[in-house]
Amino acid sequence: MTQFIPLSKSDAPGPARIGIGGPVGSGKTALIEAMMPVFKARGIEVAVVTNDLVTKEDARRLQAGGLIDPERVSAVEAGACPHTVIREDPTLNIAAADDLEARFPGLDLILIESGGDNLASTFSLDLVDWWMFVIDVGQGDDIPRKRGPGILQSDLLVINKLDLAPHVFVDADAILAEARQIRAASPVIGCRCKGALIEGVDEIVDMLARDLLFQGAAS
Amino acid sequence: MRILTPIPLAQAQEVSHALPPFLRLCPDVRARPLTLYSRILGAADQPDLHDRLHRLDHAHAVDHLRLPRADLARRRLRGKTEAGRDVAIALPRDQQLFDGAVLALEDHGALVVRAEAEDWLRFAAKDAATALRLGYFAGNLHWRVRFEGAVLLIAVETGEHVYIERLTPMIDAGDITRIVDAPGAAS
Repeated sequence: MTQFIPLSKSDAPGPARIGIGGPVGSGKTALIEAMMPVFKARGIEVAVVTNDLVTKEDARRLQAGGLIDPERVSAVEAGACPHTVIREDPTLNIAAADDLEARFPGLDLILIESGGDNLASTFSLDLVDWWMFVIDVGQGDDIPRKRGPGILQSDLLVINKLDLAPHVFVDADAILAEARQIRAASPVIGCRCKGALIEGVDEIVDMLARDLLFQGAAS
Repeated sequence: MRILTPIPLAQAQEVSHALPPFLRLCPDVRARPLTLYSRILGAADQPDLHDRLHRLDHAHAVDHLRLPRADLARRRLRGKTEAGRDVAIALPRDQQLFDGAVLALEDHGALVVRAEAEDWLRFAAKDAATALRLGYFAGNLHWRVRFEGAVLLIAVETGEHVYIERLTPMIDAGDITRIVDAPGAAS
């Protein structure tokens, strides 16, 4: 059973908190699973908070996957529309992240995966320092065109499952180009998280390392 | 304040335990030093800070980090100051940036955060019922708003066209009117 430990007020910045949102089935958990070996190879210490509507399904999947110490995964049951606990009242998620931070003082990153939600989902910056929004080609090539706060306001838009594009009649290059045009200066990364060829995951971790952990050359 | 300078890899291991977790990952910083600020010293208009800043300002020794107002809510970010220095901010979670936050104040210089001016769209509704509808609509889309009497102000946080596109039906129907270049417009 998880015991919540009050986090004492500290001058230390603590680990960066990253939001990962996006519609149900877009591959948020798969992306976390794909990033875990990259984090490990780079010596980046990570913990995860998952959000599900009325279950702990995503947390159990990560805990059983062998890619992360199960103790470093906490589950929040939203009990309502998932965006309510990452934007309107993120108290439960803040408490879960505080608890992980207190129990694992050496953390560099806490990933907060939202429950699946629609294109209007956004994260409160009281909860996270930076957030990405994950969509996939299987939802159709018009998703970027539909805009919505998730598409427009996220710090990074990830278009996942590029390997499925030919099977769902989507032009991968075209959907990426359109997303980049819609988001102007904000980044878009295409990726595939499963199968023999992993793509885009290193690029996402590079961005987190540069922008949140301040690794890499100054721009 | 901590200056991140290139650290030979052979030494990186030695310093790793003396640094906060995320900083022991920083030995890759090679091209130019990146200065990290991890606390806010106070507000630029605080009497004790203001006098020192004023003296430094006369010596042109006050640098500014200009940020979009929406970024003030972030506790971690990288940026470039007006003087062209690369800086990183990582604040404890109980601290928040604000316009005038002093990040560094030393004998030879200072760094102060300045929030960029914000653009606001201004709309008047033709009657109370339409005003209710406009207010509900803006809230449903999570737009940040202000009120000035009977005028609703909407903060432009993405492209202006994004807001106008959504409001076009109400504008075209004559239900709401955009007020442009109003005297005393919020900034």
